[in-house]
Amino acid sequence: MEELINNKEELFEFLKKMIIDTLRLEDITPDEIENHAPLFKEGLGLDSIDALELVVAIEKIFNIIIEDENVGQKAFASITALGMFIQDEYQQVQAD
Amino acid sequence: MRWLETEEVVRFNEVDEWGIAWHGHYIAWFEVGRMALVRRFDLLPRQMVELGYIAPVIRLKCDFKHPAICGDSIIIRTTVIKPEIAVLTFKFEILLKKNRTLLARGETTQVLLTTAKKMIYRFSGELAKRIDKLIYYCEKK
Repeated sequence: MEELINNKEELFEFLKKMIIDTLRLEDITPDEIENHAPLFKEGLGLDSIDALELVVAIEKIFNIIIEDENVGQKAFASITALGMFIQDEYQQVQAD
Repeated sequence: MRWLETEEVVRFNEVDEWGIAWHGHYIAWFEVGRMALVRRFDLLPRQMVELGYIAPVIRLKCDFKHPAICGDSIIIRTTVIKPEIAVLTFKFEILLKKNRTLLARGETTQVLLTTAKKMIYRFSGELAKRIDKLIYYCEKK
């Protein structure tokens, strides 16, 4: 897990696959998701119910909790933002 | 799965030109069933607000199976599905009391927002306790 989290490119790739699998996005491939594009609305077009599903997946996989929309807005801004968020949270958990 | 049953009577003002209960009223009957159930677990809308939450409905499904007429006694059955994500999903069945003919079957899904209109992604604290009790009640046979 640590190896994955510390390798940005691998982590981004993993997150793209996680989003596709979790939300069963059949018409989209990881390559089509841009690192900096917004995940919601104008970007990938996800909605708030999708966010609820992603939160559960992230908690299961990374043991990282996203409490609410306030945190979610930052975490789900883009793949890059989500990757950085997971890296930061993971380091904090390790430090505690 | 345990269902809570509530009784209502189809009123004169609830039937349409054809003498049958207008489809929109079933949604109001779902609400009667939902309130009867959540009241037992201190999850009435007013009590949710006291905890700092509102729970708007974001999805509604209803299949109509059989018509009801004015004066019919009906039974509203309500239960909750154990959630995998932070939503509350209620299931409903409306039956004719005299022979338990299924009139309609439906489902609603609600998300939880703070009173500041921010969606919460997981249930916590007192809210989680009450919701857990509600789910436990509905899971039992």
